[in-house]
Amino acid sequence: MAETTEPLLSITGLRSAYGPIEVLHGIDLTVREGEIVSLVGANGAGKTTLMRCISGVQPIKAGAIRLAGEDIARRPDHARASLGIAHSPEGRQIFGDLSVSENLALGGYHRRDALGPDMEEVYRLFPILRDKSALPAGGLSGGQQQMLAIGRAIMGRPRLLLLDEPSMGLAPVLVDQVFAVVKSLRDRGVTLLMVEQNAYAALSIADRGYVMEQGEITLSGLASELIADPRIREAYLGA
Amino acid sequence: MSELLQFLISGITVGAIYAAIALGFTLIYNASGVVNFAQGEFVVIGGMTAAALIGAGVPVWIAAPLAVIAGMLVGVLLYRLAIRPAGQAPLVSLIIITIGASIFLRGAMQAVFDKQIHRYDGFSGDAPLRVGGATILPQSLWIIGGSVAVFAFLAWFLNRTRAGRGIRATASNRMAAALVGINTGRAMNLSFALSAAIGALAGVLATPVTFTSYDVGVLMALKGFSATMLGGVGSPLGALAGGLLIGLIEALTAGYISSDYKDASAFIVILLVLFLRPQGLFGARIMERV
Ligand SMILES: Nc1ncnc2c1ncn2[C@@H]1O[C@H](COP(=O)(O)OP(=O)(O)OP(=O)(O)O)[C@@H](O)[C@H]1O
Ligand SMILES: [Mg+2]
Repeated sequence: MAETTEPLLSITGLRSAYGPIEVLHGIDLTVREGEIVSLVGANGAGKTTLMRCISGVQPIKAGAIRLAGEDIARRPDHARASLGIAHSPEGRQIFGDLSVSENLALGGYHRRDALGPDMEEVYRLFPILRDKSALPAGGLSGGQQQMLAIGRAIMGRPRLLLLDEPSMGLAPVLVDQVFAVVKSLRDRGVTLLMVEQNAYAALSIADRGYVMEQGEITLSGLASELIADPRIREAYLGA
Repeated sequence: MSELLQFLISGITVGAIYAAIALGFTLIYNASGVVNFAQGEFVVIGGMTAAALIGAGVPVWIAAPLAVIAGMLVGVLLYRLAIRPAGQAPLVSLIIITIGASIFLRGAMQAVFDKQIHRYDGFSGDAPLRVGGATILPQSLWIIGGSVAVFAFLAWFLNRTRAGRGIRATASNRMAAALVGINTGRAMNLSFALSAAIGALAGVLATPVTFTSYDVGVLMALKGFSATMLGGVGSPLGALAGGLLIGLIEALTAGYISSDYKDASAFIVILLVLFLRPQGLFGARIMERV
């Protein structure tokens, strides 16, 4: 497939470390406008670290992170939200002592326009959040907190939405709901990069996928090809 | 009857000072989770700076704001030079840093100012006003009004302004705050500046009634901290109520029993309340699932 336009996200040679221990050893990855891209890999491969580098809360040692062509690797973490990146992090990381509605409103912190319509949209996607809107978010169940974390990221009206294990802790019926939300977001023009434990589900809705092992990308391609790839089936799809 | 009224007036006056100090604690706690034990020193910086300026002939309406600004600048320095460099150090280390800073500031004040006790005239004179059968100093009205104004400002600021919401979010979850676009360093800086300004304002208002010297900060911090614990850490309403309550208990004990017991009775009440309601009178019980 020929590249006609600049990819929305383009990462080249990205290295990152925790103290002296390097955990990303030169990652190359692109996400084009309007795509859903899934990142799969075993525990400890570095998926979360990569997501955190993109949203800026994890420092990088080398490499470039380009958003629509502009190198954003040196931009501070708090500037990334207004550049159009929203991140629903691993482990939810909600504001536990603030109310559910305050959590959602904070998702739109960098925005200057009215948040009402998007708040309404999040409540429509996750009705339980409306019922609990005035309660402290720390009192929600794990699955409800996960919905809140996704809803908060949606409130940022991102161009690029990073979802780190969005189905974590959700009952199967809710997992389906979250994947339906992901698809509907893409239909509205949001570009998604997603890490999922459930590699099969993640690859089924994705356009393309990357496989990460021990801090390196070992395989990439169309999601349909990856699902069919025997190496993937064996390692991640349990087939 | 008029005796009771007199005790109540003095209790509310002293309580309002404690409340203002407690509000300063509340703000920094809200931003960082840190209990700033240097908070009492800002009260002294406010009072001593105002006293020095007024002593040098500067009119009070210029000296008072300058003293508040001086406190605010020291607050920013405290954050930049002592708290921020400690980075992601555990909370306990940060709290110990503030204790160190308070010892340092006390020494610095002794050097910059002196070891004398200072006061200046009340803003509206020192002639007592008659209320019922009791009297109240005009400066008491300044103190009470100042504390209520600080409380109203903080309640509005933390809940209704963008910067205030940023401060609360930063305290609640620093990484998530950065992810949604909050400049967490700026939020911390702002909270230290405001909190120091609040402490200095308390000192400026209180000095005509309570007097000041370089070493009263420890006691002030202790009283303000007790008020914070009693009211519920992190709650502006709790800080106000806790401060007033401790002031009243002290004044009534001193009036009806003996001033020897006033500190003890306040602490007994605090222990009782915390025993029955560990989160304090107005503190939210935070239940966070992990
Ligand atoms: N805060 C940290 N400090 C030190 N090392 C860390 C830290 N976080 C992660 N690591 C290490 O970095 C490597 C990559 O971790 P990361 O969390 O990015 O993996 P992951 O692919 O997201 O794993 P999982 O599927 O379990 O979420 C691991 O070896 C991990 O031990
Ligand atoms: Mg992970």
